[in-house]
Amino acid sequence: MTDFISAEGFEKTFRYGKLIGQGLLVTIMLALFTVAIGFVLGIILAIMRMTDVRPFRALAYGKDGRLRNSRVLVAISKFNPISFFATAYVEILRSTPVIVQIMIIYHGVFGQLIELPRLTVFGFIQFNRFFPGVVALGMNSGAYLCEIIRSGIQSIDLGQTEASRSLGMTKGQTMSNIILPQAIKNILPAIANEFVVIIKESSITYVIGVQDLMFAVEAIRGANYIIMEPLLVATAIYFCLCFPTSKLIAYFERRMSRGDKR
Amino acid sequence: MATNDKLIQVRNLEKHYNRGSLHALDGISVDINKGDVMCVIGPSGSGKSTFLRSLNLMEQPTGGEMIFHNIDITKKSFINKQGKKEKVNIDLHRQKMGMVFQHFNLFPHKTILQNMTLAPMKVLKMPKAEAEKKAIELLGRVGLADRADAYPIQLSGGQKQRVAIVRALMMEPEVMLFDEPTSALDPEMVGEVLEVMKDLAKAGMTMVVVTHEMGFAREVSNRVIFLDNGKIAEEGTPDEIFGAPKCERLQSFLAKVL
Repeated sequence: MTDFISAEGFEKTFRYGKLIGQGLLVTIMLALFTVAIGFVLGIILAIMRMTDVRPFRALAYGKDGRLRNSRVLVAISKFNPISFFATAYVEILRSTPVIVQIMIIYHGVFGQLIELPRLTVFGFIQFNRFFPGVVALGMNSGAYLCEIIRSGIQSIDLGQTEASRSLGMTKGQTMSNIILPQAIKNILPAIANEFVVIIKESSITYVIGVQDLMFAVEAIRGANYIIMEPLLVATAIYFCLCFPTSKLIAYFERRMSRGDKR
Repeated sequence: MATNDKLIQVRNLEKHYNRGSLHALDGISVDINKGDVMCVIGPSGSGKSTFLRSLNLMEQPTGGEMIFHNIDITKKSFINKQGKKEKVNIDLHRQKMGMVFQHFNLFPHKTILQNMTLAPMKVLKMPKAEAEKKAIELLGRVGLADRADAYPIQLSGGQKQRVAIVRALMMEPEVMLFDEPTSALDPEMVGEVLEVMKDLAKAGMTMVVVTHEMGFAREVSNRVIFLDNGKIAEEGTPDEIFGAPKCERLQSFLAKVL
């Protein structure tokens, strides 16, 4: 029986420095792209959830303009298809495992419906694996970010909207000039935390062959029959990515809230 | 200063909350003429704020009509001069109605200058230089020209409200709506805000003011309406309302607040 951990094992692991470095880069890029996609998707979903589109609004009122007694009709009149769609999306994505979502996107959507070119970016990123991974993680993270963004928008005092609208600015102008800048400032720490979570969660994309850090670990294991040493190296790298990032976020969070004291 | 040119005609305005269980406005009819300084007084829950907020449709009335520039702005569409159906653009009407809130509602992420220039630049497409020049001039009028680059957090309550007033003036409104502009202020700051409002009234601005400052109502306004339970219980000149109140409800209200 070989040693649990041996110096020789580490030595073997470090021979794959280039592979580990590439894996690290892929992990970072996965996280960056995922947050970007997730953020845009999250804003769209959050705005969809807050729309007031009710195609059957008129059903609630009788000919005399008064509210009907029928509970069913009143319920139908409140139905908002856009918000319903966004809510359903968020709830489904949040209630199913990421690994299942990644498999569906990789094998289902990009495996059978859409064909991706077999590109290699920078010489080591396989586009047809990397892209589905980013899409799946981005879709998942969009669902979580939607809730963060929505709560951020709803935390802005209604008076801000009223003041802006009273000056003649439209709903859209109010959203982009007044509400979103304040909301995003408030939720920036939460978004940055999501970034840390994604750095860690992105390791799961190795199941579809994205050559991230975990993929490098697997490769080293397969070639040398050592597992603990590469795993410990990966652990150290993940820690060195996430711990300073979350400390940095905490620092900025403290600094930003200092400016808010009234 | 008041004329007989009707600026806003309010007819049988109704507002129900909670599916009609709460009747906030119960058939209010009043004409607001150009140059009027109309004070709206009444006990809390009488519908004063709801009435004021209905005027620029911050609250959507559930009944009645409001004619502004020959258009009933409570409806979704109107028939234009060419006889065609056109959508009521509420943003267009709100540009002509400035509003000042109890809690100032300055934009905390923008400087005083940016607070003032944002809407003219976005809505009226005013060039930045022109908007800033105008903002500095208006700030000078309320004695705050040196605070142009400060953020709202750095200002006192009275200063914030003065900025809120000139921010609304940037759009050159035809009427200014004040929703209890001094209620959230420390007592020693009430005076400076009322002073700005007095100057505005002297300059001929049409104003509708919901207020608990009876002294201001008496001194500055030319008309006072007393709301009670969503109805106009009494209206008249300040002398009539404060000197010789007719209805019992108003008499007891004045006895409590004066």
